[in-house]
Amino acid sequence: MPGSIKISSLFHQLKDNFLILIILIPALLYLFAFLVLVLSYLFSQSFSSGLPFLAMWEDPEFKKALVRTLWFVGLGTPLQLLAGLILALLVYKSFTGVGIIRSIYMLPIAIPALVTAITLNILFSYPFGHANDLLMGRHSFFPQIITTPINWGGSEFLSLMLALLGKVWRDMPISMLIILAGLQGIENEEYEAAQTLGASGWQQFKYITLPLLTPAIMTVLILRSIECWKEFIFPFVIAPSYPVLGVLIERLYHAEQNPQAGAAVALFLVILIALTAGIFSYGANFIRKRLIRV
Amino acid sequence: MYLGKILKILVISIVLFFILFPIFVLVKYSISDRESIITGGKYPEPFWPFSVDLEIFNILFGRKDFLLAGLASLEIASLTVLFCLVLGAPTAFALVRFKIPGIGVILFFLLSVRLFPDISAVIPVAEQLLRKPFSHLPSVVLVALAHTLLALPYTIYIAQGVFETIPRDLEEQAQVLGAKRSYAFLRILIPLALPGLAAAAIYTFFLSWNEFIFAYFLMFKETTVSLPVYLLRILSWAPQKNFITAISLMISVPVIIFTFLVQKYMRTGLTAGAVKQ
Repeated sequence: MPGSIKISSLFHQLKDNFLILIILIPALLYLFAFLVLVLSYLFSQSFSSGLPFLAMWEDPEFKKALVRTLWFVGLGTPLQLLAGLILALLVYKSFTGVGIIRSIYMLPIAIPALVTAITLNILFSYPFGHANDLLMGRHSFFPQIITTPINWGGSEFLSLMLALLGKVWRDMPISMLIILAGLQGIENEEYEAAQTLGASGWQQFKYITLPLLTPAIMTVLILRSIECWKEFIFPFVIAPSYPVLGVLIERLYHAEQNPQAGAAVALFLVILIALTAGIFSYGANFIRKRLIRV
Repeated sequence: MYLGKILKILVISIVLFFILFPIFVLVKYSISDRESIITGGKYPEPFWPFSVDLEIFNILFGRKDFLLAGLASLEIASLTVLFCLVLGAPTAFALVRFKIPGIGVILFFLLSVRLFPDISAVIPVAEQLLRKPFSHLPSVVLVALAHTLLALPYTIYIAQGVFETIPRDLEEQAQVLGAKRSYAFLRILIPLALPGLAAAAIYTFFLSWNEFIFAYFLMFKETTVSLPVYLLRILSWAPQKNFITAISLMISVPVIIFTFLVQKYMRTGLTAGAVKQ
């Protein structure tokens, strides 16, 4: 029976490679132990006395944070995809200096998120900063748009938009790389065939590039939306007065000394991320099937 | 045709400006004199300082708390690299050499750990590490342990790609010639894998160097903290802009240099294994 041969050969392999198997254990155990620890802590604290996981739904601060996070994800994910698409399409075909431009386009990922956030805070400081100087018409080359300086950090909308800008700016290269890999996977013959049939540049993009790029686009959407759900540093530094879920967790833990409530929000965030990943993967399959049928 | 080309160059330039401007601003403030930073609203902040002034770096390197923060960051990052390589490299080797059914599942599990939100994991990890028996360890070790958790999946993944490029025959031939397995591992495999492992080490080093959330939670009550946490702390004193940007540059410049140096290397290290399969 082939099955028994397989099992006995596996047994031999096991015996021969016992040492190697032992080597595997420490690293996997380290990761696995912490994963178990994190999940069991989150569950036990979320459903400890007073049921923080249910109580948080009564908390208006939580509801506000959830709405802000929804906006953050809803706007941030497509923006990141758009930024990645534009960058990748710009540097996809080779021309003189494309190497240097690609390297410069990779720069944001080398700047720590904290530094990016602080730089944005400086650019958009109040009352004097480059952004306000410009909009107030203090430079001769730019028209005056506002008469009183804008307090960026004091506005919920503006500070969250700035946090989003920082996030998109810093993570552009990741989306670019994924889409670039997708673009390089498309055979040149497809375009040649389309050109022979007289397809315009836009038609080629619409009927060849975009459909064949769907897997890369779905990967970007999944990864970026997860990143937006769990974002902490940018809203924490730029919009601390208007917490999103990540910032709320920090505040509950440090300022309010309430690790149970923090754990409840943290667990909720994990569930949201799992749901997002699930829905997107399902959607990706659905779209792929539709494309094949066409 | 020409119009399209001009349009493309225009868009490329706009994106270049969009990417380079914030970095330029960091440099500009760091080398600005007092008059260029504190304008009092009488005149707009200039886009290039009235006179270049590097005094802030003198002040910075004369500050004990800054130097201690830099040292702490170096210690944490080095420890993280050590932990990750000691734990990760043998694991990657075992994953490559021993054809385990379901190795794909293990790799998927390893990488999906990284989709777990840091901000959700940080409370349980901090609660565990700041309690006995871990709390007896120095805080830099605690932060390094947490960073190992973040970097280990990548280390294993990169190292696995590196080991895959090394043919099994080499090791077997050494064994035929009478070398013990451990000797073959140390004298043949490790030297061959060293360049790839170095790339993994550099990647790990800077992941730890940049990391903020875990360092912030684990060093919340410490006086000596890592550089990113130090940078956040001094914000509450509302210091001059050039002071903030100078520290920011000190954190970023090493990362920028190494990203450029390793960029090419990392890609070959990662793809070499994939192509062979």
